[in-house]
Amino acid sequence: MMHIERGPWREMVNHAQAAFPNECCGAMLGTIDGDSKTVTVALALDNVSEGSQRARYELRPEDLLRADKEARARKLDMIGIYHSHPDCDAYFSETDLKNSCPWYSFVILSVYDGVFNHANSWLPNAEQTHAEKEELTWPKS
Amino acid sequence: MAQVLIPTPLRQFADKQDTVEVPGRTIGDILATLTSTYPELRKNIFNDEGKLRSFVNVYLNDEDIRYIGKDAARVLDTDIISIVPSIAGGSLV
Repeated sequence: MMHIERGPWREMVNHAQAAFPNECCGAMLGTIDGDSKTVTVALALDNVSEGSQRARYELRPEDLLRADKEARARKLDMIGIYHSHPDCDAYFSETDLKNSCPWYSFVILSVYDGVFNHANSWLPNAEQTHAEKEELTWPKS
Repeated sequence: MAQVLIPTPLRQFADKQDTVEVPGRTIGDILATLTSTYPELRKNIFNDEGKLRSFVNVYLNDEDIRYIGKDAARVLDTDIISIVPSIAGGSLV
């Protein structure tokens, strides 16, 4: 399961709402204890998808390399990627699946009319054919 | 020896190390030695045809090996090799 602490959660929601009606994306750093992951830092990264970003995102590998270095410098683990789905639910789309990586949790924030609505976390497999929903918690107030 | 930085989720397949020193003079040599030493890493990095999986990029210091000779890229003992995923997506099916 994954828990996102208040600070990074607020940053992720603000990022998703600010990017609306486009998709945003970023990396999540934190700690892992067995099956329990805690996100303590959110890093907003550029969406470099060409053309309309209303339903697409793409991360630069160089930015992911930088995020990994930052995690090492902070003695944290890079544990996931987040992005937003403007005006639709937080499902793991076929596009998400075909461009995923099984090493990380993928948190999707659903934003309707510019306001956060709900979120889910997903764990794709190595063959990019299926993603399991992962239990996700965040501060509700 | 060059250092290979192991991404967090793959450390379980490399004796929980975050960095591994691997001998070799080219990227191809080093990845072959790394994945023969830690066979579970191989399944995560290479597909059944022995090619890098579609979502795997390899960086020599700050350069993507695809632009500096791929497997033949020369490696010095002071170099750092990183394994970095490609990630994209979007709500449109």
